[in-house]
Amino acid sequence: MDLIRLTSRRDFLKHAAVGAVAGSLAAQGAVAAATAPERRHRWGMVIDTERCVGCESCVIACKVENMTPPGVFYTTVTHEPLPGAPSDKPVFMAKPCFHCEEPPCVPVCPVNATYKRPRDGIVVVDYDRCIGCRYCVAACPYGARYADFGDDYELLPAAGQAVSPEYKQYRARVPGASPIGNVRKCTFCLHLQDDNGEYDRDAGRWPACAKTCPGHAIHFGDLDDPESEVSRLLRERNAVRLKEDLGAEPNVYYLL
Amino acid sequence: MDQNVNRRRFLKTAVALGGAAAGSAVTSATAGLVRAADGPAPGSSELANRFGREAGDWIPSCCNACGGQCGIFVHVVDGRAVKVEPNPFNPNNYANISTDFFENYDPAIGVREGSSICPKGNASIATLYDPDRVQRPLKRTNPAKGRDVDPGWQEIGWDQALEEIAAKLRAIREVGTPEKLLWWSEDHSFTHPQQDFCALFGTPNYSNHSNLCDVSRKASFKMVMGDERPLADFIQSKFIVLFGWNPTSAIKWVHLPRIITQARQRGAKLVVVDPYLSDTAAKGDEWISIRPGTDGALALALGHVIVRDELYDEAFVRDWTSGFDAYAAFVADKTPDWAAEITSVPAATIERLGRELGTARPALVDVWSGPGQHTNGVQGGRAIALLNALVGTWDRPGGMMIPDKRGAKHASPELEKPVSAARFDGLGDLPWGHSSGVYGRGFQRLADGSGPYQPTIGVCVFQNLVMSGPGSLRVEEALKKLETFVVVDTHVSETALLADYVIPGTHFLERYDLNSHWVTWSVLGLRQPVVGGAGQAQSTYAFRGGIFGQMAEYEFVAALGRELGLRTKDGTEFFSVGATSKEPVESLTAWYEEQLSNELKTGAPGVTLDEMKALPGAVWVDQKVGTTYEKYAAPLKSKLVVDPDGAVFDKPAEDPKRKQVAILVGETLFDKPEADGGVPVGRLIAGGAWFTDGDKLLDGPKLEGKKPKQIGYAFGGTDPRRGFFTSTGKVQFANAKFAEKQDATGRPVDALPEYRPRDWQPDTAYPLYLINWKEASHTHTRSFNNPLLMSIKGENPLVINDATAARLGIADGDEVIVESPNGSTRARARVTDRMHPEVVGAQHGFGHWALGRVAKGRGSAFGDLNTIRYDPLSGQASHKEICVNVRKA
Repeated sequence: MDLIRLTSRRDFLKHAAVGAVAGSLAAQGAVAAATAPERRHRWGMVIDTERCVGCESCVIACKVENMTPPGVFYTTVTHEPLPGAPSDKPVFMAKPCFHCEEPPCVPVCPVNATYKRPRDGIVVVDYDRCIGCRYCVAACPYGARYADFGDDYELLPAAGQAVSPEYKQYRARVPGASPIGNVRKCTFCLHLQDDNGEYDRDAGRWPACAKTCPGHAIHFGDLDDPESEVSRLLRERNAVRLKEDLGAEPNVYYLL
Repeated sequence: MDQNVNRRRFLKTAVALGGAAAGSAVTSATAGLVRAADGPAPGSSELANRFGREAGDWIPSCCNACGGQCGIFVHVVDGRAVKVEPNPFNPNNYANISTDFFENYDPAIGVREGSSICPKGNASIATLYDPDRVQRPLKRTNPAKGRDVDPGWQEIGWDQALEEIAAKLRAIREVGTPEKLLWWSEDHSFTHPQQDFCALFGTPNYSNHSNLCDVSRKASFKMVMGDERPLADFIQSKFIVLFGWNPTSAIKWVHLPRIITQARQRGAKLVVVDPYLSDTAAKGDEWISIRPGTDGALALALGHVIVRDELYDEAFVRDWTSGFDAYAAFVADKTPDWAAEITSVPAATIERLGRELGTARPALVDVWSGPGQHTNGVQGGRAIALLNALVGTWDRPGGMMIPDKRGAKHASPELEKPVSAARFDGLGDLPWGHSSGVYGRGFQRLADGSGPYQPTIGVCVFQNLVMSGPGSLRVEEALKKLETFVVVDTHVSETALLADYVIPGTHFLERYDLNSHWVTWSVLGLRQPVVGGAGQAQSTYAFRGGIFGQMAEYEFVAALGRELGLRTKDGTEFFSVGATSKEPVESLTAWYEEQLSNELKTGAPGVTLDEMKALPGAVWVDQKVGTTYEKYAAPLKSKLVVDPDGAVFDKPAEDPKRKQVAILVGETLFDKPEADGGVPVGRLIAGGAWFTDGDKLLDGPKLEGKKPKQIGYAFGGTDPRRGFFTSTGKVQFANAKFAEKQDATGRPVDALPEYRPRDWQPDTAYPLYLINWKEASHTHTRSFNNPLLMSIKGENPLVINDATAARLGIADGDEVIVESPNGSTRARARVTDRMHPEVVGAQHGFGHWALGRVAKGRGSAFGDLNTIRYDPLSGQASHKEICVNVRKA
């Protein structure tokens, strides 16, 4: 579908380079699935482009929630016109990690540091295993992964000691230690899950981007639960996924 | 700070956790060895307890990253603010119509759909802990002042700063010239102590932000329907036309993106009139690209189509407007062809838009600073506002609402003697001048020495005059004329660079305030300090202290008031005595807390400050009286009580506080017995006693030196209703009395909203219009040292139309020189078809040469290209009236 091929040239080239690798490792995923615990959730997002106003509140809320350094964005907002549009009128779209069902970033990891969590489908990075090779950065067709090169925000005090709640690990980000030197990405704020892997929206335990969105454009929930808001939206509205033809099966949908 | 709300949220969490745990025991038999999360392995629960969501406190407050004042919850751990989140109990974050709010409201959790805050609120902690903040009072040692002059700052103690500043103030007051003090302030925060200080000190020259912002809009609406700030009921509207407003991006009230985008999903059409395809226009169904400052002409032509084709709301026009016939005759020749010539909008587009607007119901037309910040902004805005009268949606669902706002009540101190001096800026000469003053004319007079007297001391609180007043070079020139200039700010701004003293200000997370929210019914939010409070070692005064132990702005003002011993009429030292206890209060903070408590207790909430803190989300929401419609039609009953002997009282007999306010003789109210020189101040209408001015109903007697407010209108002289607060009680298409007034240039005011071109028009040397706007990423000129905000918007390219750029040989990304007769600046070009071909423009606020290390040198400032310029009806600064030449650098 041309309308949704928001592929930048850079992204497209990236994907072409790693396609072969992704294909060859599909079998490995099947083996893992056989021994994995039962799938309980398929967390995903439905982002309503009619409601996104391009304000980037999600970007900042995410940075503060996850204490990400300069150059590392777990979500971004595109302000580009649709390809082939007659004018430069922008379409705004928040763009987190899509936590794909068939994530091209996963099989390329030489040390199995990044994987899709079997029970809820969130694609994570185990900082203790990640060697920072950045194959996954190249493999992601959506540009959702970032290397932490150790930069700090100029003038933000104590940035070096800021504690991020990511993965409930509460790491102090100090030179020479993870996550500096690792690849980082959106986790759907899984650190806000309780010990049973459940979110609680009323208690504020909900992904930071969805929790702050001024246009109420970012809807989060369990795509496997037919009663969830996200499932209802997918039934009621026309939804698309980006670069559907790549077969990554993103768990983030866009309402146009 | 234990908070009810937190406890409730916490309990809810606990219940949810329990429930989920029970469920998992049944379903997770196959989960086996792997914990729920399936990795990566979490850290210890000790870390979670120390740093997680349940650590520390979540304290409700209100944001002030901009003037929007949205509700927030602040996560404070070990005395440090770590996250700001939306406050779902505060309607300002969600809706501006009460039904829209309450339909989605759960008393335990607030708005069920969840609430919002914008990027500026989310990023605000980075400003709180910004190492470039001013931490201690600074004194200038270098008498030379200028952009490139090192002030030679010397840190001094608080006591020294207070004593020295008080001594300068005392000197002008003792010789009987207190008016030589000029005072500028932000308009949303801690304004009351500053206004009271100025009044008690004896200067009439308190001014604030509004005349840099939207007083032309206020004037336009006042001329039309008597209210300063009607608000658009977007969510119930079906046809929305916005002239020069960017509400889904320049967010201000964070409910705006929701109610506008949701209105569209409910079937509304959104049309945005703007020279730039703004981010709001990007959300619209149609962008009408218009020549800057010609919006009034477009509005008149739309009116022409609606009148010509008889599409107007006949009943509303008949019953609730005056001057329609004059308007109809006036717009008869304001044809689409006429307007097309002026506006560059094709006549066919105007025809179609006029018919669409005339037939869609409910429809609304709103206008903000785009058309407003030109010298012809008021009459243009008036023409736009009148379209709402044609479509009959004033104060009706889906139309332009008259907010029914009751909030905190501030009792201004009674003065020893009235402030007698004239205002320096001559505000009184402007027929729709606003109490916020006329910055532009004040700066002009200060620079030229052309005012009624020459002020010697200036105090500027939380404002960056140099970059915010059009004509930065002239503003600098003016400020340099002051013998003593005191700036209270968090950063050494371009304005503070010219100060003799810089007093460290507070971040909004360090201070109190009450926020009357801009929704259509009564809602009041509390801002409270959530960090700091470790006390202060630098002053003999007692106060709470921000994170550097600095005074909050209200504490600084109160301390100055104490230094000067400012007293009220009855001899009370105003800044030392508590407003509720009436006892001397040592702590400056406690003094202000009593002020707030008194405002709350005597105002609509009727609660103390402590009770306010305990309300869910620390916000008082009127649950009984929500948004009301067609208020103008409501019959009014007099509150005055007439005793059998003719004495007229303000309250019923059983109220011990009642006072006699008039005397009734026959059918007429006199202020006192005729024998004592009483004059008529009202009359009996429909059996009730009313203070009147003609058929206008007033809240007090119209006597010399008093300015009673209009509260209603006696229709036909006999039928008291609220009406509109105008001279006819109705929406006014035309008003012959306006022609008796003169604007600041001496020109008679147009009785009808005549389109007159703005003063400064392009010519061959400076052929392009230069405009500016705001976006979600930044506030005024204030937020540019925030590294998080700069990470999403770190520069403001000059947006140029693609055809225009091609003609000028400019490519996207080129560095260009932008020049006007007043100055020049460099900018990076962004070439796009989002801009009108005769116009260039950029986001406002960039291009700092001070403020902080992050802000400095990023993007372009265009203030030097303008000169001091303001609209002669309202005093609105004309930020958008600039013409330039652009060439490749």
